[in-house]
Amino acid sequence: MYKYSEIDKKIVANRVKQFKNQVDRRLSGKLTEDEFKPLRLMNGLYLQLHAYMLRVAIPYGELSSKQLRQLAFIADKYDRGYGHFTTRQNIQFNWPKLPDVPEILEELSKVEMHAIQTSGNCIRNISADHLAGLTIEEIEDPRPWCEIIRKWSTFHPEFSFLPRKFKIAVTGCSEDRAAILVHDIGLRLIKDKGDIGFEVFVGGGQGRSPYIAKKIKNFLPKKDLLNYLEAILTTYNQLGRRDNIYKARIKILLNELGIEKFKEFVEENFKRFSNKKLILDKSTIKNIFKFFKLPSLKPGLEKVPEIKNSLFLEWKNQNVLPHKHPNYSIILVSLKSNEKPPGDASSIQMRKLADIADKYSFGEIRVTHEQNLVLPHVENSRVYEIWNELLNINLATPNIGLITDTICCPGMDYCALATARSIPISQKITDHFKNYSHQKEIGDLKIKISGCINACGHHHVGNIGILGLDRKGKEFYQITLGGSAKENASIGQIVGPSFSEKDLMGAIEKIIKVYKKNKIYEKEDFLSVFKRIGIKKFKEKLYDNN
Amino acid sequence: MINIANMAKKLEGHTFLLSANDLKTGKVLFYTSNGWLPELNKAIKIEKKSIEKYEKLLKIDEENCLIVSGRFVELNDSGSIKNLRDKIRSSGLTFKI
Repeated sequence: MYKYSEIDKKIVANRVKQFKNQVDRRLSGKLTEDEFKPLRLMNGLYLQLHAYMLRVAIPYGELSSKQLRQLAFIADKYDRGYGHFTTRQNIQFNWPKLPDVPEILEELSKVEMHAIQTSGNCIRNISADHLAGLTIEEIEDPRPWCEIIRKWSTFHPEFSFLPRKFKIAVTGCSEDRAAILVHDIGLRLIKDKGDIGFEVFVGGGQGRSPYIAKKIKNFLPKKDLLNYLEAILTTYNQLGRRDNIYKARIKILLNELGIEKFKEFVEENFKRFSNKKLILDKSTIKNIFKFFKLPSLKPGLEKVPEIKNSLFLEWKNQNVLPHKHPNYSIILVSLKSNEKPPGDASSIQMRKLADIADKYSFGEIRVTHEQNLVLPHVENSRVYEIWNELLNINLATPNIGLITDTICCPGMDYCALATARSIPISQKITDHFKNYSHQKEIGDLKIKISGCINACGHHHVGNIGILGLDRKGKEFYQITLGGSAKENASIGQIVGPSFSEKDLMGAIEKIIKVYKKNKIYEKEDFLSVFKRIGIKKFKEKLYDNN
Repeated sequence: MINIANMAKKLEGHTFLLSANDLKTGKVLFYTSNGWLPELNKAIKIEKKSIEKYEKLLKIDEENCLIVSGRFVELNDSGSIKNLRDKIRSSGLTFKI
């Protein structure tokens, strides 16, 4: 795991001091809200419906047990005893008080964390495959590259006031678990004739104009990564629209210019910027890679023992993945129980999970963009033991990838922009499909719920997407089908008129029936069936009143 | 819910409450005869014709660093809050945490 350099420490400490001064000036009236707002946003601080909200960066979703314990401490001391893990691998606190925020940032800095660039029109937290460094099929671990990008992008003087926010994701696998094709820039590590480099995708995004990213470079040598990113960001910074917030993302620029013209601009800038300063030499890369070595894993059992306990077996089959070291497993910890909103973890759970990570997984925890957690290195022989411990803190829900493993934005319960609630919808789905056998029978299915068109709940790329709308003061929900955020990324198709909150579960039930009826083999998943039969049969069933 | 910048001319209803967030805590407050309080049932009901007076008051209290994000909350004919966002804002989360 990356450790802060002296420069990192200094940057973060200075920012805490600077923000304390800004908060003091705001509270004493020396700064108006209009003046203060951009400053607080640069530190991840929003004002929502009921309270302030602080978004804390978890770079590429990697946490140490020490950091998780500190997050639990902050949740207890400054918030309401819980935190919310987000779809960009960050954590949000929903109830901090403004005068406490500088102190919270100071507490975060003690464990090498901060809230810098978690909001505002800048390069946000770099996200990554949550299984980075853990799987056999991976070309290369993307985390060192995320760290290299993090260093380059933090307080980058030219990219602190971009036309709009900017999100970058990196994966090292052909299987995409980082949703790179719905990011402003998506990077995939690939091997070409023995050399490792990047495929570069640009212009993906969700919101009111969803786009799948387009490939603009087939193979970018590693040494050129920062120069090329600099070229893309400069093109965007120069040509991206600043007159209309809804047309300001790079996806709009790319689509207005056309991919060929956009590529020309980028290549021109790339030639202009190809200077020694940003070229990554081998020793720089090597030094960063040193932080991301596997811990010393020891020999042990080749398989997870088959304990005769049906609950354990259900969980093992759903939440445990093979590690690239044959004697270890990867544990996916679901934050989608029927007792809490998706992505929420209490301080008790965080603290206990930190202890579990220390005991079983070298003190390491990952956050997934699907709002779950990962214990990356668990000995096969100890999987049953860890399950028992997770069960005690209600973190052993066996539903990873199933219909109740929903992604969900905070919705109108928290967010001032939302037009409908999303958390209660997610809870209804969890309650409706609580029967585990039924969930298994349905199989892999991603439901993603957003409380407004800004799409923080990723509804466009849900196999079933649900978008909350305000229809004359009443909540309605529009359904899209066939979306995916994986390597086969696609934007869901709107199925038809929206449903009232009351009718929504019935509609989902009908969709599931059509899917089950049209499966031609047992393991055929929802997305495959949808692609094969199209939207028509679903529409007929949903809007047939007979 | 109407932001202060757009206010009076955009208000459609007849009766409103004046609401804001506490600058320090972010807590939802309502304007009452005893100043800014969290109790919805103590909020003063404001007729549209008096809006300007309360706009000025809001501006002063924002400048005095008491509150932030001031707004008028529209009431329906039966005197309860009209839209869902304002209802959630005044009564809190609709699920258990």
